[in-house]
Amino acid sequence: MALTTAPDPTRRGPGSDRAHAQRRGPGRFRHSEGLAGYVFLSPWLIGLMGVTAIPMLLSLYLSFTNYDILTPFSEVEWVGLANYERMFTADPSYWHAVRVTLTFALIAVPLKLGAALGVALLLNRAWRGVGLFRGLFYLPSLLGGSVALAIVWVNMFNRDGAFNSLLSLFGITGKPWVNDPDWALETLMVLAIWQFGAPMVIFLAGLKQVPTELYEAASVDGAGRFRQFRNVTLPMLSPVIFFNLVLETINGFQGFTAAFVLSNGTGGPVDSTLMYTLNLYITGFTDLNMGYASAMAWVFLLAIAVITAIFFSTGRFWVHYSDGEDR
Amino acid sequence: MHPATPPTTDAPVGRAHRTPLPRRRLLRGLLAVTVAAPLMFGAAACGDDGGGAADPNAPVKLSVFWWGGDARAKLTEDALALYTKKHPNVTFEKTWQANQGYFDKLATLTAGGNPPDLFQIDDNYLAEYAARNTTLDLTSYQESGKLDTSKFPESLWKYGVVDGKLAGLAAGENTQGLVYNKTLLTRHNLPEPTTGMTWEQHIAWAEQVTAKTKVPGTQDPSADYKAFWVWLRQQGKDLYKGKELGFTAEDVTKWFDLWKGARDRKATPSADVIHEGNSSDVTKQLVVTGKSATSWVWANQMPDLKKNTKDELGVIAYPGDPSAQWARASMYWSVFKGSKNKDVAVDVINFLNNDVEAVKLLGTDRGLPSNLDLRRVVSDDTTDPAMKQSIAVEAELTQKFGESPQVPIKGHSKVKSELIKAAENAQYGRATPAEAATQFIEACKSAIA
Repeated sequence: MALTTAPDPTRRGPGSDRAHAQRRGPGRFRHSEGLAGYVFLSPWLIGLMGVTAIPMLLSLYLSFTNYDILTPFSEVEWVGLANYERMFTADPSYWHAVRVTLTFALIAVPLKLGAALGVALLLNRAWRGVGLFRGLFYLPSLLGGSVALAIVWVNMFNRDGAFNSLLSLFGITGKPWVNDPDWALETLMVLAIWQFGAPMVIFLAGLKQVPTELYEAASVDGAGRFRQFRNVTLPMLSPVIFFNLVLETINGFQGFTAAFVLSNGTGGPVDSTLMYTLNLYITGFTDLNMGYASAMAWVFLLAIAVITAIFFSTGRFWVHYSDGEDR
Repeated sequence: MHPATPPTTDAPVGRAHRTPLPRRRLLRGLLAVTVAAPLMFGAAACGDDGGGAADPNAPVKLSVFWWGGDARAKLTEDALALYTKKHPNVTFEKTWQANQGYFDKLATLTAGGNPPDLFQIDDNYLAEYAARNTTLDLTSYQESGKLDTSKFPESLWKYGVVDGKLAGLAAGENTQGLVYNKTLLTRHNLPEPTTGMTWEQHIAWAEQVTAKTKVPGTQDPSADYKAFWVWLRQQGKDLYKGKELGFTAEDVTKWFDLWKGARDRKATPSADVIHEGNSSDVTKQLVVTGKSATSWVWANQMPDLKKNTKDELGVIAYPGDPSAQWARASMYWSVFKGSKNKDVAVDVINFLNNDVEAVKLLGTDRGLPSNLDLRRVVSDDTTDPAMKQSIAVEAELTQKFGESPQVPIKGHSKVKSELIKAAENAQYGRATPAEAATQFIEACKSAIA
């Protein structure tokens, strides 16, 4: 279960190999092995360069230009910081998208993690058929960002959708959820929360790692269920919580597919589902302001980096990496 | 289970023994690749700029890209196959997809230096592409007669001119059409709407329909740029004047107020249903989903609408003076400026518009045929009743059509989406018509700047 702590075993591989080669000594060996190493690496390296690194660097360059997709690169004009200035001073819909995204992440991520942890606790028992339930709860997250799922969601949560039929059994008149600007984003949140399977599985794995003797010791000391949860489970689980928190926050910020499908690619009704990435996509591909969209992408990258850094710096106050010394 | 050792204990060992040389060389190599790759791609793109093929019988493979459904794909493929039959050296690489996402794909293909030789485009994007010199100026072909527009209504081919260049040739003609549910009206003994009703009369009629049938009488078109456009032209305004907007915040307020009145009188559905109908998707139009008695569409969409409902449909012009409507190019064929086979591509456009067999094959799927002689032939041949209706209303309106407006300018797609946003803000009651209008004008100004 390498997931519980940051380092994974593969990290050790190259280091020790290199040390090994070093011991064997002669320089020419070292050289040819190094070359062979890069040759073996090359499929990955070419992929990284071609699909990630070069386009990323290019987009950094483009963010300082007025690139509009249709104009050839050679005729692109350098505009300096104009795109960044526009973003921060003259584009209300940009800030609207930031607000929508923050709202989404701040509400959906904690609830999703809460649901994942709650269900993981329930499924961490030796009940009959518990494996089946684990599978069932995990299933929605396998469907992930699928378009089909988003379409199902739209049809479940519109005025005459299944959800309102259910409500009407109880005499409640539902709202046109996905078509109501006050509720469309909430509908997306529910979809995100419902897909708690992936963090749940990780929580489960984490729970399995908590040594039972800790619980035994705690109950000998007279701690009840809740005390045990708070003083044993949570601290022991904190690295896993940390991991899930970072990952899900990043995922939450990047939500795109569901919002795109639900709003037919517009972010509607009335921009209520205009997530950051959707706004970026519309700016780049529909409005053809690819330079500006590139600038948005870089600010987004930096923002996520900063948020992640904040998580890491606060992590040392509440994340306990205890295995190793404890046993 | 115990990957316990943190990386820090182990990493320095490795680092201490690392030889700097290969790494530096690697970095240098990567840098070279980073710099060279765009240059290479750029150079490749430049190499494509040759003119038409010298040998008329040399084999040519032309890429063609359009949006549409299965039916259009079948018709277009048949027509292109006919061209190959007549010119065996020319074959086609055909790509087609739904309208949603089409322009994203087209833009991406263009950016990748691999745009299709021949592509379908509409007035929402024509100026965007023409202004960036992506489309071939067809004027010289038109002058030399290689592209024959002599049988076209003049206003129709002129609706493809952007900044003095013929950027696309009309693949068909259509105009705004108000489609209504005939079956519903007959069942409740209600009068059918007629061309020439004023907007007030239309709303009063719709109010009556709502009261009698419990189906909202008319979709609220305040978010619909083509309805707004017709209404503006009836006020002596236009959507664009040169590089500027052709209307003011007062005009927008009046337009939004008109429809706020209609909503208050229950002539339209509720805001969320209006929002559903604001989708450009034919299958979601309220007249076919049964959520309203009318929808605001293009006349040539009649057959597609009819496929989605059992009810009888009727089609008329939008309310007000019909001379505000014009012979619009429903879509164009454009040639990529950097195409290696420009001459062949232009000849294919000419064939699709002026060859009697090809035009018969294509029918009225892309709108009425642009060639007036062939339009008559096709109209006589048509058996599809929905298409007959659409032809009839356009034939009737052709007498009344006003002058074509200028092709929408660069930034138009943003203006369209901002109108939807502003109108919906008013529809959901989140802004007054005046507030929504101000918001719209502000957004438009930055969109077309």
